Amino acid sequence: MTHFFLIIGVAMCVLVLFCLYRATCGPGVLNRAAGISAIGTKTLIILLLMGVIYGRVEMFIDISMVYALLNFIGCLVLAKYLERSGEVSC
Amino acid sequence: MIRESDDVIIKTLARVLMPFIVVYALYVVMHGHHSPGGGFQGGVILAAGFVLLVISHGLEQTRRRMSEKMAGAISSVGVFIYGGIGVLCLILGGNYLDYGKLSKILGVNSADARSLGILGVEIGVALAVMAVMCTIFFAIFTVGETDEDEGSEK
Repeated sequence: MTHFFLIIGVAMCVLVLFCLYRATCGPGVLNRAAGISAIGTKTLIILLLMGVIYGRVEMFIDISMVYALLNFIGCLVLAKYLERSGEVSC
Repeated sequence: MIRESDDVIIKTLARVLMPFIVVYALYVVMHGHHSPGGGFQGGVILAAGFVLLVISHGLEQTRRRMSEKMAGAISSVGVFIYGGIGVLCLILGGNYLDYGKLSKILGVNSADARSLGILGVEIGVALAVMAVMCTIFFAIFTVGETDEDEGSEK
């Protein structure tokens, strides 16, 4: 069963690379913001898979909850900043 | 100047999420010695709650709850709690932050006194970190304007 989660984790890491491409080369600011927030959610899943593999899910759930919270707030702050600096017209 | 957001979704979400953020931050502070976390991390989560409040309800609403003067006072109180517990241990005849000596005051055995002493220090650290994070965030988001500038404009 550990192998199954390990394979899923590696696949998630590969998907992070695609999102990273969108975040670095993506045309426009909105693509970059979406890419960054997608990387955040994938990192959350990878953290939980690590918890399952190491057999200490209860610790990694704490970390992943904080990560989800900070990812959400960071996304909101980024959107607010873009709205203020006029990159995106509301 | 951050205006109040007129988006219903974000405002409602912030209102619903804020108590959970505070409770979770307190959990992280209190369980710092059993699970990942501690004073610094709990303080950062508390400060993240205030950041969410600034984003959703505007800077003026947040300043009514946590002004810059209040943030400075809370950070000083946090550092005072930390240093005070350390000096208390020093007065009671131990080393600096030697929590075991607190058993004379608290009336428990030495191991429990260590646990409670660490908890007190972590609460102090959490308060200081929260207030300093809020100060830094306000300073960055207002580009250096303070309460007094705001008052003179009005």
